[in-house]
Amino acid sequence: MTQQSVMLSSSLLIFFILLAPLALALVPSLITPHWHKFYAKSAVKLAFFISLLPLFLFMDQGIEIVSTNYQWMAINSFTFNIAFKFDFLSITFMSIALFVTWSILDFAAWYMHEDPYINQFFKYLLLFLTAMMVLTSANNLFQLFIGWEGVGIMSFLLIGWWYGRADANTAALQAVLYNRIGDIGLILAISWFTTNFNTLDIQQLFILNTNESSIIPLLGLILAATGKSAQFGLHPWLPAAMEGPTPVSALLHSSTMVVAGIFLLLRLHPLLQNNETALTLCLLLGAITTVFTATCALTQNDIKKIVAFSTSSQLGLMMVTIGLNQPLLAFLHICTHAFFKAMLFLCSGSIIHNLNNEQDIRKMGGLNMALPMTTSCLLIGSLALSGGPFLGGFFSKDAIIEAMNSSFLNAWALTWTLIATSFTAAYSLRIIFYVSMNFPRYPALTPILEAQQASTPIMRLAIGSVVAGFLLILNIPPPPPQVMTMPTSAKLAAIGVTIVGLFTAAELSNITNKQLKTFPYLTPYNFSNMLAYFQSTTHRLFPTLNLKWAQLLATHLIDVIWLEKSGAKSSMKINTTFSTFITNSQQGMIKTYLTLFFMSTATFLMFLLLN
Amino acid sequence: MTPTLFSIVSAFYSSLMGLALNRSHLILALLCLEGAMLSVFLMLSMWSAFQGPYSIAGTPLILLALAACEAGTGLALMVATARTHGADHLKSLNLLQC
Repeated sequence: MTQQSVMLSSSLLIFFILLAPLALALVPSLITPHWHKFYAKSAVKLAFFISLLPLFLFMDQGIEIVSTNYQWMAINSFTFNIAFKFDFLSITFMSIALFVTWSILDFAAWYMHEDPYINQFFKYLLLFLTAMMVLTSANNLFQLFIGWEGVGIMSFLLIGWWYGRADANTAALQAVLYNRIGDIGLILAISWFTTNFNTLDIQQLFILNTNESSIIPLLGLILAATGKSAQFGLHPWLPAAMEGPTPVSALLHSSTMVVAGIFLLLRLHPLLQNNETALTLCLLLGAITTVFTATCALTQNDIKKIVAFSTSSQLGLMMVTIGLNQPLLAFLHICTHAFFKAMLFLCSGSIIHNLNNEQDIRKMGGLNMALPMTTSCLLIGSLALSGGPFLGGFFSKDAIIEAMNSSFLNAWALTWTLIATSFTAAYSLRIIFYVSMNFPRYPALTPILEAQQASTPIMRLAIGSVVAGFLLILNIPPPPPQVMTMPTSAKLAAIGVTIVGLFTAAELSNITNKQLKTFPYLTPYNFSNMLAYFQSTTHRLFPTLNLKWAQLLATHLIDVIWLEKSGAKSSMKINTTFSTFITNSQQGMIKTYLTLFFMSTATFLMFLLLN
Repeated sequence: MTPTLFSIVSAFYSSLMGLALNRSHLILALLCLEGAMLSVFLMLSMWSAFQGPYSIAGTPLILLALAACEAGTGLALMVATARTHGADHLKSLNLLQC
C-alpha cells in the first residue's frame, strides 16, 4: 500500500516541481537574470530524477495508478474531473520527455545565450512541458484536450519566437491553422463520446465500446492525429516550424509535441483495435506520409528541414504501426525516436551556431575535424535513426518492419514503408556527406568552437540513443505474442533495404563532383525539392476559393438581392415605373374635364325636362 | 317648371357653363363659382320658404358662411397666382402638364 502512495505522490510531485518556477514567474520582480539557469533548468532536472521513482516502481512491481482528484463541475450525470492516469504509457513517456527536456534546456542555455528574453523563452518551454505532462497523464479526454490545446498554443508562441521575421510569423500561423483542423476531429470525438457514452473517462469509454459502435469518433481521433502529428494532408506545418529556434525544434517538433497525436491513438487504442476500417485508414495514411516525406527529405538543402522531414517520416511509421494493431511497438518507437531525433536537432543547432547561423548544407563541409564530438554524435544519431543493429532505433524499427512483413496487410503500405526505410539511410548519408565529409565550403575565418556547455547534453542524449532501446525492451511489460519465425528475406528486409539505400546514396555522393550528363534531369528533383508542390498549390488555392466565395456571398448576393432587388431600391423602381405610367394617362386637362362634365349634366337635364 | 325655378336653375347652369368653358382668367372661374353658390342659396331659401318643414330654414345661412370661406380661399389663391405668375391667366397654370 505504501508503494502505491509513494508512486502517486511522486508522480503528482512532478507537476508541482514544474509549476513552481512558473508560479515564481508570475511576480516579475522576483525573476533574476539567471532565473532560467537556477530555477527552470534545475526544476526539470529534479523532476526527471523524481520521475525515475514511479518508473522504477512500475518496472519492478507493475504498479499503475489512476486517481481522480477533483470534481470541477457536474451537469446532471456528466462530471468534469481532474483525473490522472499513471500507467505504462504515461510513466515511461514522462521520464523520457523529462530527460530529453533536461538536455535540451542545458543546450538552450548555450544556444540562446545572447537573447535578451531568455527567461521568457525558458518560461515558454516550461509551460509547454507542463501542458505535455497534462496531456500524457490525463485520464479523461477533457483534461487531454486542455493539454492538447496548451501544446498547440506554446508551439505557436515558440515557432514565432523571432517574430520580427515574416517567415516565422507565417510558419507559426500555419502551425496553428493545421493544428486547428486536427482539433476539429478531436472535438468531434469528444462530442460524440459525451452524447453517446455520457462520459469522457478512458476506462468507461473502453467498457462502453461495443463492436457496433460508430466509426465517427474514430475518424475524429484519426483526424486529430493527422493534424497534430503532421500526417499527409495536414503535414506542411512541420517543415515550416523549423523557423523557430533549434531548441524549440528539438523539443516540440521532434520528440514531444508531434507525438501527441500518435499518443492519443495509443491511449484510445482499445477503441480502434476492432474496427478494421479505422486500422486500414491509419495504415495507409501512415504509409503515404512516411514515403512522401522521405522523398521530400532527399533533396532539401536546409539541415533542419531534412531532420524535420525525417521526423515526419518516422511519425508516419508510428501511424503504420498503429494500423498494424501493434500499439506497443509504436510506443517503443516514440521513446527511442525521442532520443536520437532530439540529438540530431541539437547537433544541427551546434553546427548552425558555430558556422555563424549558416543552415544550408551546401555551405558546410569538413566539420569532421572542426567539430569532432558533434559530428560523431550526428553519426550515432543517424545510425540509430536508420535502424543500425542494436542501437536505439533498431529495437523498435526492426520490430515494426518484421511485424509488417509477417502481417496480413495492404501490399502498397508494405512497399512504401520499405522504400521510406531505404530513403532514411539515403538522406542520413546526405547530411553526413555534406556536413562532415570532404572539405569546408564555409568562409575561412569562421570561429568554430565546440563548447562544453553544448556538447554535454548532446553526449547525454547519445548515450540515451544507444542504450534506451535495449533498456526499454528489457524492462517493459511482456508484449502480446509476436511472429518470431519468418523467411530469412523477411527477417533481413529492414537492414537489407537500409544497406541498399546507403550504398545508392554513397554512389550518388561519389559522382557529385563529376559531370556524367550534360544537362540534369530536373523533373523529379524539382518535384521533391518543392515538396510535391503541395504548399504551392493548396496555400494559394483554398484561401482564394474562400475569399472568392465570401465575395460572392457577402457582396454580390446579399448586396444585390437584399439591398437592390428586393429592398430599398426596388421600391424606388416601382414608384418611378408607376408614376411614369400614370403620368401618361392623367394629363391634367381640367378644362376639358369640366367641359365634359357640363355637357353631360346639360344633356341629362334636357332628358329630365322632356320627361 | 315654374318660371322662378327655371330662372334660378338657368342662372346655375349659366354659372356652370362659365366655369367650364372659360379659357382666359381665373377670376372669371371664381365669379362663376360665386354665381353658382348664389343660385343654390336662392333655391335652398325658396325650398324652405315654400315647401316642407321650417327646420331647415337655417341651411342657407350655413351655406353662405361656407361659401364666403371658399370665396376667401379662392381670392387668396388668385392673389398668390398674380404674385407668382404676374397675371391670373389660366394658360400660365401648367405645372401639372407633362
